Amino acid sequence: MVAIDPALLTNILLIGLSGTLICLAVHFIPVGGAPAAMAQATGIGTGTVELAAGSGLVGLITASYMYAYEPLANIPLVMAAGAMGSMVMLASTMFAGSLIYAYGVAVPFASAQVKKDPITGDRQDTYISKGTQGQGLPTICFVSGVVGAALGGAGGGLIYFVLMDLYKPLIALTSAFAVAGVFTMGVMYVNSVIPSYGVGGTIEGVHDPKFRRVVGKDVITSFFVSILCGLLAVLIAGGMSI
Amino acid sequence: MVLDLTMSMAILALMGALATIAGCLEDLESDVGSQSNPNSQVQLAPQMGFLHRIFNKAISGEPISNGMSAVIGGTATTVLLSQQFYPLTAIVIGAFFGAIVLGIFATTSYAGRVASQTRFKQPLYMDIMRYTTPSIIGHNFIMNFCLVAIAYIQFEILGYPFTIPFLALIWGISVGAIGSSVGDVHYGGEREFQNREFGCGLNTALSGRIVRKAESGLRNSIDNVWFCAKFGGPATGIALGLTVFFSSWPTTIFGYTWKAIGVGVFIVIVLTLMNRLVELNVRHAYGPYKEEKNEQEAKA
Repeated sequence: MVAIDPALLTNILLIGLSGTLICLAVHFIPVGGAPAAMAQATGIGTGTVELAAGSGLVGLITASYMYAYEPLANIPLVMAAGAMGSMVMLASTMFAGSLIYAYGVAVPFASAQVKKDPITGDRQDTYISKGTQGQGLPTICFVSGVVGAALGGAGGGLIYFVLMDLYKPLIALTSAFAVAGVFTMGVMYVNSVIPSYGVGGTIEGVHDPKFRRVVGKDVITSFFVSILCGLLAVLIAGGMSI
Repeated sequence: MVLDLTMSMAILALMGALATIAGCLEDLESDVGSQSNPNSQVQLAPQMGFLHRIFNKAISGEPISNGMSAVIGGTATTVLLSQQFYPLTAIVIGAFFGAIVLGIFATTSYAGRVASQTRFKQPLYMDIMRYTTPSIIGHNFIMNFCLVAIAYIQFEILGYPFTIPFLALIWGISVGAIGSSVGDVHYGGEREFQNREFGCGLNTALSGRIVRKAESGLRNSIDNVWFCAKFGGPATGIALGLTVFFSSWPTTIFGYTWKAIGVGVFIVIVLTLMNRLVELNVRHAYGPYKEEKNEQEAKA
């Protein structure tokens, strides 16, 4: 049995918080779903779960490498390494996607949710093709996506750090890496799925009115679900100590 | 850092090259099998009365199906390595296992999807299945080979904490996410609707009205991959290559420090600015679709 002590409760709470961070991150990422793959909606042409998990997992690789090779790696550094990996992945993806929208499909980038881009001030509505909900990745979507990836990667790094500290004393180091990695991946998927119910498959980013409408509910839901995940992580550790 | 700087950079360059090939081939595999989001149009076409000869598979979301084949490849490779196989042989045989499993799923998926469209009179073309499935397996084999090779390098040479199958799974999911976000737009937004004027945008009312005629005869998935190999595939490859290279480059050069994180952030800022340049370029080149309201008022 695992004795309930404040350190364990802190671990559960940290996993809950980092899961919430990942859920919040998904709302920032401009996901256009199937319509965006046909250049009929603004954003990246794939689903929330696929993209958030894909970028978060690259962050997990960089965070785990940082944790393994820097003896002095503290929580902020591991989280920052995760954030960097995720940001690089999403920025590369969005940039390559922009090249396709610009020179493969030949459509100007336009957001259907705002009249002017809040960052560049460029007019958006006149650039929307007839019968679509915008297309491509305007600057506000790109920046929002990068911020979202940073939050998601940082959340993944935090879960990994907490779990490694939890499992390291109990099992062999290589096994601890594996269990912590797989569990982090699981929490990422859980928290990528929750927002997709809220946003209904597509969201343009922080400037989308949908963001303000659903983010509160999703974040609260995610916090409680992630606390459950944290509880499970601690229970697994109980099994290891026997 | 496990290796000296020169060797680390050489390994990193090799990983970047492997990732570029993997990304390109992943997207082409999804185009030749018609997977992911653009496949919704292929699925919809018979319901709109447009029967076609395009392969129609969607085993699952693109990241998960690629993660599946890559992790099978990684697992088989690990087993063979434990039996003292030469690494290159183990990776090739492992990648082949993964590709064969994906090929099996592709045939069942195609048959199942077409069978579900019996009421719309969409036929199941056996020649399409015979010609296209080996192409799917071939593309997926090369992707698996590259991803398992990256996982092998990261685990055995660079000393990453995760094992080969887990690293292969992560890269498989990531390459699927990138292929689904980048290359599929070229297939869905351009190739499926090539009968429209280039750059006119795609009205949602056109959904399901995909192009069915080729340069000669009826269009099939081999024609689609020929087209997408010119832009969609390479762009996906560049995205994954950049991801693999730039997510490791800062820590390789600057060590595991805050400085490396700062360099990573700088790379992201440069990519953001490049995206802005592309945005400005296309806005200038194509111009607005509609006249601005106040301009119309001024004319009146």
